[in-house]
Amino acid sequence: MTATSAPRRAAAPPATGGGPAPARPLPWLLPVLFFIGLFYLWPIIDALRLAFTDASLLDREANFSLDAIGAMLGSAALGTVLRNTAVFTLGSVFGQLLLGLAIALLVVRGERNNLRGMLVLRTLVLAAWVIPGIANGVIWQMLFSEAPFGAINSTLRLVGIPPVAWLSNPDNAMMSAIIATVWQGTAYSMILLYAALRSIDDTLYEAAAVDAATPWERLWFITLPELRGALLVNAILIVIMTLNTFDVIISLTGGGPGRATEVLALYAYNTVFYNFDLAGGSVLSILLMAISLTLAAIVAMFLPRSGRP
Amino acid sequence: MIQSRRSRIGNALTYAAVIPLAAFFLIPVIWLVSLSVRTPQEVFLGASRLIPEAPTLANFGQVLTDGGFRLYLWNSVKLAFLGAAGAVAFAAPASYAFSRMTFRGKPALMMGILAVQMVSGLVILIPLYRYMDRLGLLETHFGTTLLYISAGIPVTVWLLKTSFDAVPMELEEAAAIDGLGRFETFLRITLPLAAPGVASALILNVILNWSQFLIPFVMLSESAKWPISVAIFNYAGATNATTTQLLAAACLVAVVPTLIVFLALQRLIVRALTSGALKG
Repeated sequence: MTATSAPRRAAAPPATGGGPAPARPLPWLLPVLFFIGLFYLWPIIDALRLAFTDASLLDREANFSLDAIGAMLGSAALGTVLRNTAVFTLGSVFGQLLLGLAIALLVVRGERNNLRGMLVLRTLVLAAWVIPGIANGVIWQMLFSEAPFGAINSTLRLVGIPPVAWLSNPDNAMMSAIIATVWQGTAYSMILLYAALRSIDDTLYEAAAVDAATPWERLWFITLPELRGALLVNAILIVIMTLNTFDVIISLTGGGPGRATEVLALYAYNTVFYNFDLAGGSVLSILLMAISLTLAAIVAMFLPRSGRP
Repeated sequence: MIQSRRSRIGNALTYAAVIPLAAFFLIPVIWLVSLSVRTPQEVFLGASRLIPEAPTLANFGQVLTDGGFRLYLWNSVKLAFLGAAGAVAFAAPASYAFSRMTFRGKPALMMGILAVQMVSGLVILIPLYRYMDRLGLLETHFGTTLLYISAGIPVTVWLLKTSFDAVPMELEEAAAIDGLGRFETFLRITLPLAAPGVASALILNVILNWSQFLIPFVMLSESAKWPISVAIFNYAGATNATTTQLLAAACLVAVVPTLIVFLALQRLIVRALTSGALKG
């Protein structure tokens, strides 16, 4: 979808006569193949194998067994965890996409009209993105805290509104985790959609102006259709990122209260590193991978053809 | 006239949306700064002391000296930079091959590299924990750095390919006529010409590594080896309401370096994000 913005690509086939020697790519690729093989492919295969054993983190012996798969898929906690994962992922992804799109549209509109302060907004949003996830959880805990130093509740008290149990009430805790995640992750959607917006052909808007289209019509009939590819790619990437990370949750709520914010990635982590159940954790992490790939494939089906280079 | 009035209303509406959004993104950081310079008494006064009456820098001193955060900062710097340099060094030749050579299976290989990036770190870390244990690399910065490098490689391959694509072929052809070998051409012509792209890839890796939590959390249990992300997490678990100002100071110490790098190099980072991401 960047075809219009990068017309001067130099990657033509090697020139004939006087050009570089014929390509022997293997030595060039070797370091990357080594890392990918050793640190991605082999561990994935091993995780699959471990899922069919009774391996624990502490001893090295492992025998073939289907117990782990049965125990994990049959556990009472899994239903709660999967529901949490669905709510957390949906909430975070929609929040990031909508807010990211809104900010990108505002910044582009502001820049077209030479408004001041657009760079400030863009910088603030991106600054939240570079803050480590763990620090993000700690910061939001200080905002949501029900102790006297909690920013939101102490402000509410100042204006005479009773404090809200942002983190100790199970229903609110999930919302709070989503807010903290959206705060940090919006930057990514914003910057992708900002770049995509800037690459939309201006003549489309000029034609719309001739037809006296309203701003709403321009958004609905030009901008959103043109952004479709970028929105979908963006959705795939953040769905996967949201499913796979739990650092904001672990430092904001630790998965609690109870299991109220325990998502699948955190559950898998706890199974391995707190219960030392290597086989069970492998089952869960493979389930996580299967869910990510399925969702990515479903979203990818809606991609316009020829989206990829 | 009508047009300009309409655009004035539009501008006012734009600001009406921009200002609360900016506040949403700014306030958490302001609150963190506010708590970090308070005395314990003022911490308990909450929002009424957003600007403390008796601001103090003592919290930072205490965190950096007694809390050991100087060491954690150094560990973070070390891991983030070594991991980033390794990812760029190992990815660059492959990116060059993807940019300049045609060979069978190239598109499939490139998509494969993109696909592994989508695999959860957890899937990989669970079996790797055992290997690392057997190889004696648990609790070492060497083993941890290897994992940082492998985490950074997929996105780095794509970022560098994009920047090599932008280097004109003619210069390399001239170098070939002058008798330079392919690797020398890459090292002496392409790499320097793609320097801004290489720098963006390096910085993006450093920022992502600075945030990295899962890898060091699993690999390193000795506090002397922790990077700041793991240290903050453990510190948050060990503090209570009476030491919130210290936790805020520690958190700010973890956040400020990456914010400074980001603000100084925003243009490069934004470029890396947009060029790499749009390929997706």
